[in-house]
Amino acid sequence: MRKPPGIVYAVDEVPPFGVVVLSALQQVGLMSINLIYIILVMREVGATPELTASVMSISLLVLALGAVLQALPRGPIGSGFLCQPVPTAVYLVPSLIAAKAGGLSLVFGMTVFAGLVEVALSRALFKLRPLFPPEIAGLVVALIGLATGAVAIRTILGVGASIASGPSDAVVAVAALGTMIVLNVWTRGGLRLACVLIGMIVGYGVTALLGGFRHAEWETMVAMHWMTFPHLDYVGWAFDASLVIPFGVAAVAATLKVIGNVTTCQKLNDADWVRADMTSISRGVLADGLTTAVAGAVCTTGVSSATMCVGLASATGVTSRQVAYAVGAVLAVLAFFPQLGVVLSVIPRAVAGSALLFAATFIFVNGLEIMTSRLLDARRTFVIGLSFMCGLAIDFFPGAFAQFPGWVQPVLVSSIVLGPVMALVLNGIFRLGVRKTQKMVVEPTRVDPAAIEAYMETSGAEWGARRDVIDRASFNLSQSVEVIVESCDPQGPLEIEATFDEFNLDLRVSYVGPPLALPERRPTNEEIMESEDGQRRLAGFMLRRHADRIAATHRAGRSTILFHFDH
Amino acid sequence: MDLNEEQAGGVTVLQVMGRIDSTTAPVLGERLTAMVGAAGARVVVDFSQLDYISSAGFRILLLAAKRADQTTSKLVLCGVSGKVRQLFDLGGFLDLFTIAHTREEGIAAAG
Repeated sequence: MRKPPGIVYAVDEVPPFGVVVLSALQQVGLMSINLIYIILVMREVGATPELTASVMSISLLVLALGAVLQALPRGPIGSGFLCQPVPTAVYLVPSLIAAKAGGLSLVFGMTVFAGLVEVALSRALFKLRPLFPPEIAGLVVALIGLATGAVAIRTILGVGASIASGPSDAVVAVAALGTMIVLNVWTRGGLRLACVLIGMIVGYGVTALLGGFRHAEWETMVAMHWMTFPHLDYVGWAFDASLVIPFGVAAVAATLKVIGNVTTCQKLNDADWVRADMTSISRGVLADGLTTAVAGAVCTTGVSSATMCVGLASATGVTSRQVAYAVGAVLAVLAFFPQLGVVLSVIPRAVAGSALLFAATFIFVNGLEIMTSRLLDARRTFVIGLSFMCGLAIDFFPGAFAQFPGWVQPVLVSSIVLGPVMALVLNGIFRLGVRKTQKMVVEPTRVDPAAIEAYMETSGAEWGARRDVIDRASFNLSQSVEVIVESCDPQGPLEIEATFDEFNLDLRVSYVGPPLALPERRPTNEEIMESEDGQRRLAGFMLRRHADRIAATHRAGRSTILFHFDH
Repeated sequence: MDLNEEQAGGVTVLQVMGRIDSTTAPVLGERLTAMVGAAGARVVVDFSQLDYISSAGFRILLLAAKRADQTTSKLVLCGVSGKVRQLFDLGGFLDLFTIAHTREEGIAAAG
């Protein structure tokens, strides 16, 4: 892997201790925003502050485990990246439904079920790969970026809050977000690496100066014990078949999130990234599913890989897995200090919104980059465009979907559920009728270079193939037709056949005539200049080098060249 | 293939657009040979809008470079990027020519 220019410490690098600690602290600071999802579920069942604090502590331990599991570089579990889980909006609505229907035990039991669904999906990802192409992973990341950005702006503006935002919230947001952006864009070293943490501290400071903290929050914190051990006397699990669909859909959405996040991490750490590494993704989904299953088993809510934390890593350039281990350590310590948990949970909304908005911008752009890494034809444009817009419709017109049947409501909870589900369905429909083999015939007397180029372009777009692979295949096709027509005196038409699957592109050129020379040695400059034979051998040499594999046969007067390109 | 010739401070800039293959290479060859055939000529070939170049095109460039050496002319290529640059690399041509990043840098290098 070649490190991209914007990355300061790549996944395999070991940063200085101070950088690791600073990076871990700001990652935890950002993660703390999502602890609100646990509090929302606990509020739904009317849990006591002590029970909420205990579930919070357990959650922090589970998140610590998840951060370490996800970062493991070897073995069957873990993507190997800084891609830790957080309590997530994906599981919020199903958990609220379960909490209402059967209390916490049903929430926890169904969370175990969802985790196991994700585990099962991780085992089948290789076979399901055509259903999860990169543009859908990119769509998921972009939608999460947009949804996170919308939540961030809503949080800053206080939309739906009991107390609306005022001028002081705007001042806090400008101070916090402004600090993050200024440090990220115009500074280097420690200031850039810790820009979010510094911005959040500035936000806390400005909030305190403006008297933004309520006394009740501090009184709650002071009244708590400094150190405590989480208790498990509320343990219980239940299962309800009617909740299989919402939790199953949430598990699929969580899986798509992991696919998107791990793909982003791969791309962030490799300047030469061209395709998603499914082994790493599969192990990442397994780690995510196991963490959610453990979360349910030890009685807390579902988690999923944190896109905002990947966005933060992208922004600061620190993607080292050492940070993930440090995040695990910080969370494990926090689990035994409920007062610190309270500090995190009373994060001023303008500060939380600013940090989210900062991360959301990077998430969104990363998603767009992944989506557009493939050639997109009309089918794929519809898959992405329709899914994107239908997903956004949920957020724009939340009330408009209320009259839909109950069984479909779990899919209509948010753009980050509807968008990906819609994309999966449309992708399945639009795959119908896509020919995996495209044929073409070229008459030697009427070679049309534009038609040859269009053949590869159109085929590549229909398959959703990578641009660079299609460019290479297009050159080999044009160059081979050119040199065969000029030097091999083909009797009759050249038959061309391109076959594609997600892993391979095979291009076969067949004609009646003598075989084309495909030398392994480049002709000298003098040989190239002196004769057209030298030029032809240069063509053969370039054709051989441009393909990942090449095979040539000559039987019964018919010559066939097979160019293989890895995809 | 389309060719567009301009003068910039004593340097002749030839922009090549489209494809250089066995059909179009002779046209480019004739033009280039004539341009670098005059003693002390300074020529920049701009490939920023080139889509494709085959072995026939590379042969023409080698011949033009050789001719430029004979006439003490200067031949500079510019705008060699993306998939065209990949082909230069593949055929081992990147080190054989003076290649500037932009047209302005090419003119400066030729001047």
